[in-house]
Amino acid sequence: MKDGENARAGEHGERASDGSLLEVQDLSVHFPITQGVLFRKTIGTVRAVDGVTLDIRRGETVGLVGESGSGKTTIGRTIVRLYTPTSGRVVFEGTDLAALKRAAAKQVTARLQMVFQDPYSSLDPRMSVGKCIDEPLKVHRLGSKAERRARVEELLGTVGLPARMATRYPHELSGGQRQRVGLARALALRPSLVVADEAVSALDVSIQAQIINLLQRLQREFDLTYLFIAHDLAVVRHISDRIAVLYTGQVVESAPTDVLHDDPLHPYTIALLSAIPRPDPEIEARRTHIVLTGDPPSPAAPPPGCRFHTRCWLRQKLGNPERCETEVPALISVSPGHAVACHFTDEVRSSAERAAVRVAGPSAPA
Amino acid sequence: MTAEPLLSVRDLVVRFDTPQGEVHAVNGVSLDVGAGETVGLVGESGSGKSVTSLAVMGLLPAPAGRVASGQILFDGTDLIRVPERDLRKLRGKDISMVFQDPMSSLNPVITIGEQVTEILRAHEQIGKSDARQRAADLLRQVGFPNAEEQLVRFPHQFSGGMRQRVMIAMALALHPRLLIADEPTTALDVTIQAQVLELLVGLTRDLGTALLLISHDLGIMARVARRIAVMYAGFVMETAPTGELFAKPRHPYTVGLLNSVPAIDDRGKALRPIEGAPPDLEEPPVGCPFAPRCAWRVASCWTEMPPLLPVGGGTGDGPGLEHAAACHNPVTAEEVRGAAPLRPGFVPAPPPAAASTAASATSEAPA
Repeated sequence: MKDGENARAGEHGERASDGSLLEVQDLSVHFPITQGVLFRKTIGTVRAVDGVTLDIRRGETVGLVGESGSGKTTIGRTIVRLYTPTSGRVVFEGTDLAALKRAAAKQVTARLQMVFQDPYSSLDPRMSVGKCIDEPLKVHRLGSKAERRARVEELLGTVGLPARMATRYPHELSGGQRQRVGLARALALRPSLVVADEAVSALDVSIQAQIINLLQRLQREFDLTYLFIAHDLAVVRHISDRIAVLYTGQVVESAPTDVLHDDPLHPYTIALLSAIPRPDPEIEARRTHIVLTGDPPSPAAPPPGCRFHTRCWLRQKLGNPERCETEVPALISVSPGHAVACHFTDEVRSSAERAAVRVAGPSAPA
Repeated sequence: MTAEPLLSVRDLVVRFDTPQGEVHAVNGVSLDVGAGETVGLVGESGSGKSVTSLAVMGLLPAPAGRVASGQILFDGTDLIRVPERDLRKLRGKDISMVFQDPMSSLNPVITIGEQVTEILRAHEQIGKSDARQRAADLLRQVGFPNAEEQLVRFPHQFSGGMRQRVMIAMALALHPRLLIADEPTTALDVTIQAQVLELLVGLTRDLGTALLLISHDLGIMARVARRIAVMYAGFVMETAPTGELFAKPRHPYTVGLLNSVPAIDDRGKALRPIEGAPPDLEEPPVGCPFAPRCAWRVASCWTEMPPLLPVGGGTGDGPGLEHAAACHNPVTAEEVRGAAPLRPGFVPAPPPAAASTAASATSEAPA
């Protein structure tokens, strides 16, 4: 175990501190839709992720926001190698993950961990908490039995659980406790990147706040980098340094957190900001909501051109310009770190809807 | 209330019999909903908010769940004492309900059209073709452009948001006087949630239907409810007009809840979660159930559940809108922002077992 740690420390030292930890380059993940049992044939493709580029620097938290079918979970799972990219690359600490052979992959992916939404289904119900946290240590042959037991105890303490929890089973734990176990397990191999997929979405508000604070403390203590995937923009905003907004498998806007909030430029981002109910009746009373019509399109049949055009409030206001239907908007940088994929950013800028979202923004100081 | 409230729940106690023992799900809840009013019921899992609403509907899972005591007065009639046959006439017609998961509330093997017409034909003398016509109108009201075509489709052919709109159409088909919506938008995406919420609020307003909205989401409450009741471990902890509850919460649990929500506008402000976890409802409640997690607790909190009493305030919006909290040591306005008691030397009272040893330590504190 000691050797392993030293080797890792050396690797950390070699890397530039402000470099990219993870680069997702033009990633596409498509799933075939098949029909028939004996003679399986592909009758279509779900374009779950379609050309996504993301860059995560060491020590930062990048938020990935989107609704069901936006591809956010697929991106997370592809990063931890649960899915294989159809095209594009995932480069982690300088290594292309897809090119790795099994043995090498095991070493790399140890530093790439995932925390899932539902800790009840991601923990084995027949495995005690201790065993569950021990499992990754065992697989990676880190230490003797006694050393591993001590490490499990230490990990339980790290996530705020008493050592006696090691003998409990998942069904005996509350949702918050289970999520802590999931975190302890993810931390067991001292990862540098943790992909948190809706890690707090299933929890009650008061427990959710506990886990968010825990995530932030762990990040400081262990120099963790987070990819924080969630549908709740308020939670994502709270925890993230930068945010990428996904719609039907593509990034429509990405920006530093405050910029995205104060200066949103994609009609979808503005609609999202407008839709989030705020826990403040005064703000709710004076603001108007953009209510999008219809449902997000199916990633099996994404609309041509801009994928948001079928629901876009701005396009309706502009008299449904043809360009939105025919031409795919490129993700263009508008200021350092802020990129938007919309043909009509100037019109967005001058829109009353955007002004309304921004005015409703800062809450009156109490 | 000047007139009798439409729904008046009085000291409702609900118990569940389980192999492990009795579960104390609801422990004396009182709640009023006036005609046409929108009341929010907030609480976390296990707080008893859904059980309360199921009791009102007479839909507690039998035989495990039962109303142990209390009254549920709907328009003056105690629903607990009404025979099941009469309740069935009431349900759907006078009181109806929308649940969180529309897929499990809809029958997967029957078309949408048949399911919508079923409720019309069960309560009204109406011919098949008239019922179909009405069903199509209803679907149009909840925002389906080509309603006739939708009637022959099955629930799985609809998205989550569409299914919930169908549920709303069915729930409001007979213009009920009270609609109970239990986490109606929780399973939906943010933009769809906004659609469904707008529909729900707009339609109930137009029909004059009272809405009892159950949700864990304080943002939704802020948007929709006129009055809010906060539940915890089967008790109503605080009730107030919406604006007042958010601006001047008095119960420590409400304060904790408000401080736990990451507001999109104040990034960087550390969340102040409530430490600990909700109590085990298999234990009969002794004292205030929130005491073990409460920073404001005093000695009597461990032994005696405080009654829900007016704490002053409330607005001139109308009668019955007073602000009440069930707390021995309510939070003051100055303490809300810091989320901690400000009185110098205040120490949360230790649990009774430890009280004798710690008593000397606390008494040393300056008054």
